[in-house]
Amino acid sequence: MTWTAETVRKEVIQILTPHVQQDAPLSETSHLVADLGIDSLGVMEVIADLEDKFKLHIPDEALRDVNTVADVTSAITSRLQNEGRLAE
Amino acid sequence: MSTSFKPRTVVQAIEDAAKSTQTGYRFIDEDSQAEPFFSHAGIERASARFGGALQSLGLKKGDRVALILPDNSDFVFAFLGALRAGIVPVPIYPPTGLGQLSGYLENTLHIVAKSGAKVLVTSPEIRRVLGTVQSRAPELTNVCDVDTLKAQREELKPEKITLDDTCFLQFTSGSTSRPKGVTLTHANLAANVHSIMDLGLKVQSFDKGVSWLPLYHDMGLIGFVLSPLYHVNSITFLPPLLFLKRPARWLEHMSREKGTISFGPNFAYALCVKRIKESEMQGLDLSSWRVAGCGAEPIRAENLQAFAQKFGAVGFNEKAFVSCYGMAESTLAVSFSAIGAGVQTDHVEGAALWSEGLAKPMSPSEGANAPTTGDAERVASVVSCGPAFPDHEIAVFAETDANSETPLPERSVGELRLRGPSVMVGYWNDAELTREAFAGGWLKTGDIGYLAGGNVHICGRSKEVIIVNGRNYYPQDMEWEASRVDGVRKGNVIAFGTMKPTHDRERVVLVLETSLPEGPKRDTLKGEVRRVVQQAMGLTVDDVVPVDAGVLPKTSSGKLQRAKTRELYEAGDLLSRGSIREVDTASVVKEVVKSQIGYFRHALLGGIGRKD
Repeated sequence: MTWTAETVRKEVIQILTPHVQQDAPLSETSHLVADLGIDSLGVMEVIADLEDKFKLHIPDEALRDVNTVADVTSAITSRLQNEGRLAE
Repeated sequence: MSTSFKPRTVVQAIEDAAKSTQTGYRFIDEDSQAEPFFSHAGIERASARFGGALQSLGLKKGDRVALILPDNSDFVFAFLGALRAGIVPVPIYPPTGLGQLSGYLENTLHIVAKSGAKVLVTSPEIRRVLGTVQSRAPELTNVCDVDTLKAQREELKPEKITLDDTCFLQFTSGSTSRPKGVTLTHANLAANVHSIMDLGLKVQSFDKGVSWLPLYHDMGLIGFVLSPLYHVNSITFLPPLLFLKRPARWLEHMSREKGTISFGPNFAYALCVKRIKESEMQGLDLSSWRVAGCGAEPIRAENLQAFAQKFGAVGFNEKAFVSCYGMAESTLAVSFSAIGAGVQTDHVEGAALWSEGLAKPMSPSEGANAPTTGDAERVASVVSCGPAFPDHEIAVFAETDANSETPLPERSVGELRLRGPSVMVGYWNDAELTREAFAGGWLKTGDIGYLAGGNVHICGRSKEVIIVNGRNYYPQDMEWEASRVDGVRKGNVIAFGTMKPTHDRERVVLVLETSLPEGPKRDTLKGEVRRVVQQAMGLTVDDVVPVDAGVLPKTSSGKLQRAKTRELYEAGDLLSRGSIREVDTASVVKEVVKSQIGYFRHALLGGIGRKD
């Protein structure tokens, strides 16, 4: 399956939504932990769901650069791009 | 000690086990299909190479080496290699990411400096993260890449290691976020391993373990790396993060290896119930699993029951559950419930337990109908963690009994204290902390509980530690961090852990007073507080609750009341509570009555004490 930046973004939001604490506003700049209240176990669950959805492997080291929703999206798109699965 | 027990050093155990080429350790790695297997003979050789490599760096017997190695096999061989050279390893947990780096670096630096480690062995990736650690730890002369060590081909120069030699340092988090170095000798290890494997779990050579536990933590390191060397058992290791990401992998490996023994904290079993899908259970067979240990954080019977219910369908036997009590200061294990008996719960009167400190059993009819959740006011269900191991003692004392002079009778609640060959010598290079840890020769656990039929029952933690995913957090640290945020009334912050409302794990709540108005400004403040605590401690606060000035309950002397705040929060009364100026008189009356009960109890027990 080929993804676009927009479909990736939508899918990321969909995967994050069930983990977000009630009333927390979800936007590109939301910090996963500070703004959305996702704990470390929740983050691991999100990663597993992302890997399954996008058929990717996200190594543990990559988590260190992920803070916001936008970081999640770009971690996915850059990997899809490397594999030639991202349409312009 | 039982007559057949001959204590051996870990080094002796490695050498003795090397006869076996059939049994050994298998390392699962998420990123590769390869599952390298090292027989016990291979473990002996690989650890000898690491030992020789460490010696070639100039390390000598008794020197400390810090290890930050996220890869399980690297860690195991570096650790065992150090032991074989008589070098004292100091395991440190690797950074886990998500913006907690500043707190991590501070802790790591403290451990490196306090242990006086001359060399730190780590991966190239973490080495970059550590940055300037070397310049800030005076005795650290070398931050060494683990791959460089692996390329070394120096022969291990044999060292004479005795039971009284220091085996390794186990740093645990302390009340001021300063980790303390539990110093364990080979004699401690030999005694505790004997207790765990022979006396507690009655381990046979056919037993096989599967573990995803972090190896820088006592349960993973002593339980699954060191103990199986003494008994020559096969173990399969999974990376901890793989388990957190995909809990099904734990059970898949138990099933595939026909594993008989595995351990996890309470949250691990709850995570399996929550996360493992029906489709992932296809083909699992957990019928070989005879010891499912649960420890390292408070045990909730209902979580374990839910696990047994879900995985009973694939052969899991709920009698396999073993409730464990342990702590690093006592090497690892203090007591286990009887094997093959499942979770044993003591149902006692809630009111008597919490206000009088007495564990009064419910009558059999009440006990049988006792709810395991809810109605906590009436009945408290306390999990039994079994009796002390032979040659070890557990007794309960009043926390004020500074010399452990008067053990409390059965079913009286007090501080659990320990004596025996598993108990540490002390904290590394810290005479004062060591002195504070003991009372009249007994180790003070800081855990509050009681004995019933000689079995340990734990009610709570005296220091209000909050345990999240097996790690201890102290509310004071969190409160201090939150107090630094603009908009928070300094000194008017209370943090606590609560099992309510969902009971699956401890939730972290932080209540703070602020003069900001309701609305977006308070929402921003909540986010900022979460961010600051996360940065400093690597901990996610589940609920940040801003309240008006004067709402937090205080004692007459103006001290904040943490337990009272938690009570209000759990009852849902915190937000409806007015400021201190309009506090309702009924609750004041209740407080006075409670303290009267306390007064009478004290007078009564004190009187009995004097007559005796």
